[in-house]
Amino acid sequence: MELKTRKMLDRSFTTIGIFAILLMAVSLVILLQPIIWRGAGAFIFRETIENRKLNLEIFGRGNRANVEVQVTEAEAARKPVYDMMAEFEREMEEGGPSFRRQYRSEYSELRDMISELLGPFPGEGDPVLIRDRYGHTRWDRANVKLHRILFVEEYDYSDPNRMGVKVEKPRADLFESTSIEPLFGYLEENLERMMLPSVTFYWRFLFDRSYDAHFFGGIWPEMLGTFYLALGAMLFAVPLGIVTAMYLAEYAGEGRFVSLLRTCISSLAGVPSIVFGLFGLAFFINTMKIANGKSVLAGSLTLAFLVLPTVIRASEEAILAVPRTYKEASMSLGAGKWHTIISVILPAALPGILTSIIISLGRAAGETAPIIFTAAVSVGRPLAIWQTLSQPSPALSWNIYNLATEHEAVDEIRHVQYGMVLTLVAMVLLLNLAAIIIRARISRKLRG
Amino acid sequence: MNDRILELTDKDIRNRLLMSKGTQRHRRLGALAGNAVLITIASSSLVALLFIFYFIIRDAIPFFQLEGIGEFLTSSRWYPSREEAEFGALAIFVGSALVTVGAVIVAVPMGVLAALCLSDILPFSMRQVVKPVIEMLAAVPSVVYGFFALVVFAPLLQEKGGGLLSVGALIVLVPISIVGIGVASDLIGARFRGGARGIVRVTSAVIMTVIVAIALFLLNRFLGDLKIVSGTNALNASIILGIMALPTVVSVSEDAINAVGRELREGSYALGATRAETLLRVIIPAAKSGIIAAVILGVMRAIGETMVVWMASGNAARIPQPIFNYLEPIRTLTATIAGDMGEADHVTGSGRYHVLFAMAFCLLVIAFVSNLISEMILRRSKRKLGG
Repeated sequence: MELKTRKMLDRSFTTIGIFAILLMAVSLVILLQPIIWRGAGAFIFRETIENRKLNLEIFGRGNRANVEVQVTEAEAARKPVYDMMAEFEREMEEGGPSFRRQYRSEYSELRDMISELLGPFPGEGDPVLIRDRYGHTRWDRANVKLHRILFVEEYDYSDPNRMGVKVEKPRADLFESTSIEPLFGYLEENLERMMLPSVTFYWRFLFDRSYDAHFFGGIWPEMLGTFYLALGAMLFAVPLGIVTAMYLAEYAGEGRFVSLLRTCISSLAGVPSIVFGLFGLAFFINTMKIANGKSVLAGSLTLAFLVLPTVIRASEEAILAVPRTYKEASMSLGAGKWHTIISVILPAALPGILTSIIISLGRAAGETAPIIFTAAVSVGRPLAIWQTLSQPSPALSWNIYNLATEHEAVDEIRHVQYGMVLTLVAMVLLLNLAAIIIRARISRKLRG
Repeated sequence: MNDRILELTDKDIRNRLLMSKGTQRHRRLGALAGNAVLITIASSSLVALLFIFYFIIRDAIPFFQLEGIGEFLTSSRWYPSREEAEFGALAIFVGSALVTVGAVIVAVPMGVLAALCLSDILPFSMRQVVKPVIEMLAAVPSVVYGFFALVVFAPLLQEKGGGLLSVGALIVLVPISIVGIGVASDLIGARFRGGARGIVRVTSAVIMTVIVAIALFLLNRFLGDLKIVSGTNALNASIILGIMALPTVVSVSEDAINAVGRELREGSYALGATRAETLLRVIIPAAKSGIIAAVILGVMRAIGETMVVWMASGNAARIPQPIFNYLEPIRTLTATIAGDMGEADHVTGSGRYHVLFAMAFCLLVIAFVSNLISEMILRRSKRKLGG
């Protein structure tokens, strides 16, 4: 090859390599951007008057006098809507059977949607479910609902060779030249006056329990469950892990037993997480019967098995990173091996061991598969610490899955899902950041 | 001080500096007991592994006794909840294999390139920036990847469908084909001498450019016209899994590349090789076994992952038609275990319960064997590079 081509090839190879790294960074950004942006929406959003009412009545928060003034204001703005609907109901009464038949189903659909948007009609009693007692509490969801009220979605199948195309038709057309037609224009123009949106910072999202299957309230039970599970796992894994690491780093030679141990550790690290879950189910729950069914304890023990290899490896690395001179100095002063380890090597390795603990903590907090069968439930109260021995708990990771796939109204509670994801990611990444900082400090210290 | 040392008698010396026989025995016994305790605790991971194998096998055996192994591995009729249950898991095995292959296609080229770049191309300061990015990719919990795949990526695939695919294909293929054309035209030109060489090179480059451009255009048209019926499919799961497996591939193969000695690099540069030639012809062959181990570990990560495939793959226990059709929903072993155990665990003892353990057993064996292989390869390469 000519020199020119070789140089060009060299340069293009460099470019492709950098391109691969860029792609990696970009995928991280693409992953985190919607999570941060929409997750923030669980904390900072425009609340409607319905949310203020709910806060006052369920949590007892907010200024009663203020809210009542706003409620009257909003009710005044809503009155024309109810009047128009009453007017149309009268028109249906008088219009004869064919008129009634024509509009009955469309009108009852419309009525349901308006009651979902604005809350129950005046004069109707309090429904059982909290979600039916209030209209939309978030301004963004209220706008989505308004759009659904204003437009009917239909699929156009006129071209047989293609899939149906979604078409939006104004709902007002269905009620052409009836007394309810102006309602749609009124709703569109006056929604802001009816809902009185204002920006709010709902920091209590982290510390409230959830109401009505996560329609309202926060994620405290899930956060608490994640804490218990992760900390419990560390409680079992850290002592075992550090002692094993110490043995491997300081006592063991290169014998057959040690190499068997090392193979076991790396095999344990390679076991799929779902297999840990099944093992936890078969061992801790079906065989040991440590509690009646799932419990946080069983989940913690399963997670402890999962993070054990991580703790061992990282701790061993930390112990090996302690300069040999420390050990030799201690030995030459007459300290025994045990004494040297306890009073010289472990303290020097402590920051590194701490890093390993922090990283494993993040891993344990984020794992889902091992806790599905051993510890996690979809809905639950915050547990006191002694209840963790016998009771299951919701956890962030499991509830993200559960809310995103199995909840009855997945789209309605997107903000809760994103809020949970953001909380979990923030927890894990902050833990990792702490580990990175500690590690940077250690390497600076060891260097000079 | 000096005076006091002089005052020491023989007895003092024996008591304080040399240990009496009894103390010595005590100490030795203590050390022995300590060692025994230490070894017991250190064997916890050995015990854990044995326990896992025992309990998974214990609950998997009844399935093989009841149903036999033939239907499990050869039929793709998966109806565990029917009156006359059928446990054909072939489609599920195929699903697992498909997403794993897809993830490897995404993760390995990118991961190895990134590792080369990290170890030999980027300056130290840039490396300090890139390392945390990789660590963050590794730290993000799998359920978060799954959530992203289900809530963000799947609707995007479904709506934009072909457009997204063709843009992605262009991003990857255009740089590769430019380099490819450069190399190929140069190789063709090298067969001629003198003035003809330049002419041949230019014409061959032009001809190939035209051919590649047409091919890319056709591919783009084809991809652009694709309609994706469901956003949760094998492609979605493969891409996300590939990104998840990236950190493993990068860090293990970077270790392998770093382990190749300076002498080899310096020798290659001294012979006049460019950096790309050094990397491709010297470093990669030398680090080959480490890179293979990295690939195996990446594969293990992809096979064993649960949440992403459960949320993003569509969970249809069918073999795609044709088999490489990545746009169809599939189902994997891990997702089947996670999804079916919820319905099966209150009927502990049924075939439906035990078949999931049989699947877990298969996963466990795959993971164990590939781990052993990768460890063997790594150990051998270390010995080779070390001596």
